[in-house]
Amino acid sequence: MDVTSSTSDLPDGPSPVTEERVWRAGRLEPMPIRKLPKAPPSIHILGPTVFLVALGVGMGESYMWPRLVLVFGPDIRWLFLVGVTLQAFVLLEMARYAMATGESIFFGAARIFKPMMWFFYVAAILIYIWPGHLSAGAAAFEEISGIPWQVSACVALVGVGVLFSMLSVIYSFLEKVLGFLIGFLVVGTAIIASIVGSWDDLASTISGMFAFGFLPDKALSDVWFPIIVGSIAFAGPSGMQQMWYTLQLRDSGAAMGSHIPKVRGLRTAGEAESMPSRGYMFDTEDPAEMEKWKGWRRWVTFDALLLFWGITMLVTVSFTVLAMSAARENPNVGALIEGGDREAALKAMSDAFASAGSPILGTAFFGFIALIGLNATLGLFDSFSRGQADMTYYFVPGAKKIGMSRLYAGFLWGVITFGILILLFGPADGPASILDILAFLSTFAMGAYCVVLLLVNNKLLPKPIRPGIGRNLIIGFGAVFYLGMLFYSLVRFGVVVG
Amino acid sequence: MSKVQVRQLAEFSVPALSIGVAAGLVAGGLAAFAGQPTGWAVLTGLALGVPIAFFSTGYAVLVALGKVPTGVFAPAAVYWLVGFPLALMAHAAVTEWVIVGSPGLPESPLEFLAFRALLSMGFAIGFLWMHEQLGRHWWPRIREHNEYAYRCVEQYKEMAVSLEERKAAAGRGRPRPRKRRAPA
Repeated sequence: MDVTSSTSDLPDGPSPVTEERVWRAGRLEPMPIRKLPKAPPSIHILGPTVFLVALGVGMGESYMWPRLVLVFGPDIRWLFLVGVTLQAFVLLEMARYAMATGESIFFGAARIFKPMMWFFYVAAILIYIWPGHLSAGAAAFEEISGIPWQVSACVALVGVGVLFSMLSVIYSFLEKVLGFLIGFLVVGTAIIASIVGSWDDLASTISGMFAFGFLPDKALSDVWFPIIVGSIAFAGPSGMQQMWYTLQLRDSGAAMGSHIPKVRGLRTAGEAESMPSRGYMFDTEDPAEMEKWKGWRRWVTFDALLLFWGITMLVTVSFTVLAMSAARENPNVGALIEGGDREAALKAMSDAFASAGSPILGTAFFGFIALIGLNATLGLFDSFSRGQADMTYYFVPGAKKIGMSRLYAGFLWGVITFGILILLFGPADGPASILDILAFLSTFAMGAYCVVLLLVNNKLLPKPIRPGIGRNLIIGFGAVFYLGMLFYSLVRFGVVVG
Repeated sequence: MSKVQVRQLAEFSVPALSIGVAAGLVAGGLAAFAGQPTGWAVLTGLALGVPIAFFSTGYAVLVALGKVPTGVFAPAAVYWLVGFPLALMAHAAVTEWVIVGSPGLPESPLEFLAFRALLSMGFAIGFLWMHEQLGRHWWPRIREHNEYAYRCVEQYKEMAVSLEERKAAAGRGRPRPRKRRAPA
């Protein structure tokens, strides 16, 4: 901590210019030194990782991985273990920068090289404006209720928009709602899996996670390899969801994020405090501050291991156990899956659940898929709007005058309006011709954010809080893993991901 | 333990008890929705609800007596590692009683218990979350005459004060002029 400079704390209005200690990181405005707050006194069950769980427990966990197990057997799950564990380390390293500075990882990327941030800005729009999760959830809801999926999807879109606009502070409410939905999902799958499944299913599911190196010839075909690459990418929160987590971490007031005001709903946007023009740093040479930092690292590690890794693993284990018991009852499931028909496969899995236990299990299966669709929609819309508003606020000239809350509302209603138009008049997952590009961008973004993490944490943070060599190697492996498999698939088969 | 203490413990355990009741209602409701006879649905509900209510209350008593810290995951996970499989074992025994006519253990009872024990973590997370949410509304209401609720609310207050201190320490707004310190 060896730099001293002049800085003003607020971007607008007259402010006294004072001499104070700052931390210089990259070419952008230096970060003033502030006190690090104390870490929470006890380990609380719910932290911001609930967002990652809500986003992460999606179609990958409930459908894509059970599908691969039904086709290749449970030994293929070692790839899932690698994917989720890698994501847990990414989460911890994303948290390192966000908690030390109160800045998002997008801001960190801009401090390294601004075009890198603009890549994520454009990729987010291209990837996440398509209402694919919502349409899948609404289709499952139609199976239960008979209500046409376009109707329930449009109502849900407008409902989410009104809700987020009316809220005083968006983060607190969303944490509670997602916490409840995830709690219900986890308890429900645990109880149903414990009634329907068997020890043998569970034993082979778990032993399959350690069958490192298992890759049958069929998995290396042009049909299945791109699907496996896509499934690995979708193990846990995929694409840019990990990057958005840094914003939720900030809004939850974690570590130096407590110096940054919360994003408010449109109704109370006028009451929002002014956003500072950059983050803050704490004094890493003060032993007391470093002790508090260790407390925060313990807090986020607990969050990552229990809530993210544990819940994601538990839900997929439960769904895989259910799928395996379903396959015993209804061997046709495998054939339908190999046919590649997602809706038929989902219907067959539901039927198999019903025949394995009682008719209600088939309904419960669709209920969970609908719930996952709703979870993903709530989490994705909030995260997308938050991420885009953050980058716009800090890096688009004149945007600060609009304010963070109004920018958030603008992106939220923009994505809702586009979603409704697409649901009514276009393909919900996006035009087929660009799906390949979106899949490529999503997986490419994951490789890219590993590179960004290495640069940001090692170049922008003070030495005492930089990651160790082991963690750097793991994140470096992540970059090679995602980008390597993506380009191998592209070169070998001419297909990006499935 | 005096009668007053027992009554206070029972009152403190209302949120936990209601989770068991809810589990029973869900199990019974699902059975009824699936077209099972009313008697069977009620029995299934009771077979799952009563054991879970029993173990839930046991956990609340441990919290009330200070044997388990409030809102911490690890003790809840260990507790339900035992409680969840046993509750489902009771459910399975009652189910067999209804079908066969006499209660009996499932085939390979050790495997049965081990399988449910591995899945208990999910239930533990959901239980803890619900217990905290319900308790935060219930315990402040009864704390004036319930020593266990009072102690629990005080713990939450300490946590809230600590969070407030965290905000205050953050010192939002404009920076106060500071003396220039020598570079370290």
